[in-house]
Amino acid sequence: MGTLLILLVLTLFLAAILTGGYNKEFLLRARQTKVWDWLTTVDHKKIGIMYFLSGFFFLLIGGLEAIFMRLQLAVPNNDLFTGDIFNQLLTMHGTTMIFLAAMPMIFGLINVIMPLQIGARDVAFPFLNSLGFWLFFWGGILLNLSWFFGGAPNAGWTSYTSLALNSYSPGLGVDYYVLGLQITGIGSLMSGINFIATIINMRTPGMTFLRMPMFTWTSFVTSALLVFAMPPLTVALLLLMFDRVFGAAIFDHAMGGSSVIWQHLFWIFGHPEVYIVILPAFGIMSEIISTFSKKRLFGYTSMVFATVLIGFLGFMVWVHHMFTVGLGPMSNSIFAVATMAIAVPTGIKVFNWLFTMWGGEIHFKTPMLWAVGFVPTFVIGGMTGVMLSVPPADYQYQDSYFVVAHFHYVLVGGTAFALFAGAYYWWPKMFGKMLSEKLGKWHFWLFFIGFHMTFFPQHFLGLFGMPRRVFTYQANHGLELLNLISSIGVIGMTLGTIFFMVAVVQAARSKELAPADPWDGRTLEWSIPSPVPEYNFAQLPLVRGADAFWLEKQAGNKEMTPAEPLGSIHMPSGSYIPMLMSLGLFVAGYGFVVKSWIIGAIGIAFTFIMMYIRSFEQDFGYHIEPEEINGSAKAKEVKA
Amino acid sequence: MASHIHPTDRPTKPGHLEKATLEGKNKVMGFWLFLGAETVLFACLFGTYLALRNSTMGGPTTQELYDLKLVGLATFFLLTSSLTSVLAMNAMNRLNVRAMQFWLGVTVLLGLAFLILEIYEFVHYVHEGHTFTSSAFGSSFYALVGTHGAHVTFGICWIIGLMIQTARRGLTYEMAPKLFLSSLYWHFIDVVWVFIFTLVYLLGKVG
Amino acid sequence: MSQNTNQNTTNTTSHKQEGAGKHILAFIVMIALTAVSFYLVMNNVVPKNMILPFLLILAAVQVFLQLFIFMHLNQKGSSYYTVFMIAGILIAVISGAGIMLM
Repeated sequence: MGTLLILLVLTLFLAAILTGGYNKEFLLRARQTKVWDWLTTVDHKKIGIMYFLSGFFFLLIGGLEAIFMRLQLAVPNNDLFTGDIFNQLLTMHGTTMIFLAAMPMIFGLINVIMPLQIGARDVAFPFLNSLGFWLFFWGGILLNLSWFFGGAPNAGWTSYTSLALNSYSPGLGVDYYVLGLQITGIGSLMSGINFIATIINMRTPGMTFLRMPMFTWTSFVTSALLVFAMPPLTVALLLLMFDRVFGAAIFDHAMGGSSVIWQHLFWIFGHPEVYIVILPAFGIMSEIISTFSKKRLFGYTSMVFATVLIGFLGFMVWVHHMFTVGLGPMSNSIFAVATMAIAVPTGIKVFNWLFTMWGGEIHFKTPMLWAVGFVPTFVIGGMTGVMLSVPPADYQYQDSYFVVAHFHYVLVGGTAFALFAGAYYWWPKMFGKMLSEKLGKWHFWLFFIGFHMTFFPQHFLGLFGMPRRVFTYQANHGLELLNLISSIGVIGMTLGTIFFMVAVVQAARSKELAPADPWDGRTLEWSIPSPVPEYNFAQLPLVRGADAFWLEKQAGNKEMTPAEPLGSIHMPSGSYIPMLMSLGLFVAGYGFVVKSWIIGAIGIAFTFIMMYIRSFEQDFGYHIEPEEINGSAKAKEVKA
Repeated sequence: MASHIHPTDRPTKPGHLEKATLEGKNKVMGFWLFLGAETVLFACLFGTYLALRNSTMGGPTTQELYDLKLVGLATFFLLTSSLTSVLAMNAMNRLNVRAMQFWLGVTVLLGLAFLILEIYEFVHYVHEGHTFTSSAFGSSFYALVGTHGAHVTFGICWIIGLMIQTARRGLTYEMAPKLFLSSLYWHFIDVVWVFIFTLVYLLGKVG
Repeated sequence: MSQNTNQNTTNTTSHKQEGAGKHILAFIVMIALTAVSFYLVMNNVVPKNMILPFLLILAAVQVFLQLFIFMHLNQKGSSYYTVFMIAGILIAVISGAGIMLM
């Protein structure tokens, strides 16, 4: 059914292009609409906003799946979502939250903010940036289509073989997982490359490496992790696709394969992935704590050093996810020591945040509330992490709710808190409107209390022996009360998120524009108007030290000193190709899922044709002239 | 930071044209990062192959299967194509478009010769009972060597595309970084092949 | 930007001759290294359990030549790529060995 539909749409589409059988005027009008503008944009701010909003959309889906699971587990012997449906829920919850919510929302913030913080007019590869977004988007859609066509993946977000092989997971679920993630994964690799090239090549004069804001530094290290951590995932998914779709035998014991290889490949990717989502969170918190304490970040250099060290060590510890596989005491010990070592740079960071606040003039605005709530929450998650890094103890904790509690303290208490904090902090820069302080505080307190209510009891559930990923439990084992409390906590998180959405709608409808520098900020993004003009900086700023904008304000200047005369600004032009190129891969992915080689071949051929078109087209963008820049600046002043 | 050279300009002085513009510098930087990622990708495939190369499930073993003379010839083709590719880049930086096109053409032909040998080799193996689905050894072998072959194929298509573009537009500041990247890619394919003939074929022959 | 181009383009003729000669020499060395490793294996020169380090060293030298002579990793302003390539190779070796040894 779905196959026919896709074929039909594609033939119509191709027929329209080849015969020229479309209305030229209609196309012209379509090109002038706002929708077309957003679909074809290569502007890093718009792409960032699309990343953030679609990430938030997937966050809601993943949250809904979590609510369903907690409903099922609220009372013993419940039969609301049992068996396979529960497996699908837990798999999709994990996969969605990591790949389709946390990573895109982080990419969104990096995309919007990082180029502004280093004083760049755009990222190094605007086209690639757009392509990365569309690959993520279509991959996410493909993954979620599984709910409607053929059943969602049900082998856990880690999709361990042999469970994930055809013999134990028949049906299309895991195929959707493999191909959906493959497509988003390519996009993530591109984003990583793009961010690194941007940070190295596009910094404004005077912005040396050790003057870069902390968020830019963490983005840099995260991007390096992306570049080196995505390929193992690509290989893992490729090999699993070979096994499931093309009958290969790499993970199949009966044919001489080994399922441990999957675990290695997955965790060589999987552990750096944890740092990919947590390091930018550290960066966001560093910016916020420094801004709202009115002090420069304590121990900036040690912070940079700690970030790089965490990134490096992140590749040396993957076996701590595999302590119980039986690799032997030698490798377990080595990886245990390396894991414990990571606590040192992380500790440096925590103390630096505390010392930044110490003696500062602290303003408890909403972003700062999130940051203050983040520090103790994350420390709890970190400490349970050190507990888990001891192999003999890990034999007891593994596969229990203790592990679930640990990684939710790190991922929600770390990444999700930081994303909300970053949203409140940078919303004026992204959209030109302030989010309500009042609703924001409600959001924080409801979410914070709800979060601890949900996940703190899970430590004890795990210690009492409740296994993770099992859809029910028996009464009279001492698990009822804590499970019920845990489920009630979800109400707090849900309400909090609803308050956030209300605040977003309120801000979108309000006519009041945000000032350029609402928080008395320290870094370059606050030196330009909100929302940011498409060329970012009319004149590139000259940076004279760390916290560049703060320095200028201390020296009595209202604006940055320009590093260049006002001149015409080169801008890249938009392109519809990234969207179509990714659409081709989406179609191919769908073809491989339903084992229709024709659709698969059509999709891939379509992508390659798009690549050739892109390679052959000559498009050198356009220029914005100084008169236009002055004109729009004056128009702004009149309005204000 | 805006570059003062228009991309369609034709360079008049020889030199490292690929980094003459900011776009070119960005591209070279980004491409090296991509090659770093590719290194890890191939390392994972190598690890998988080396872990599974003895799981032949009764099929032919590495020692029975591999023919070093064929591999030696393929290696010679690919190594030589790496040299012609670098000669093409030398010609480009001397602004000698005709020589560049000639050397690129030779590179493509050598790549094709390599690919034909590889296809011949695969067909031969399938007849011997060493297929993608016959054992874990078969799967991991074709996954590794096949991925390399796919890279060669892509490289050939890429270089042909760039030759057509150069023929149409001449050597411009826009073309130079593109040509340079395709050359980097081609050398990288050769680097991977060095490890394939070492760790797959030679080590397989030793046992 | 234009400054940059001028810097690199002072001497046309020497650039040409030096480049091609260096590359052909590197190519000959690479062919020789390949021939040596094939010879070692085909004639069982080195004992079986000792062959791997020999082959790996020969391959490493060749790759070094490719990276620095053919791919110009030693050019001015290449230190960023070099750092990233070294990081990539390090991670690649660790991951590959990890999977291989299981």
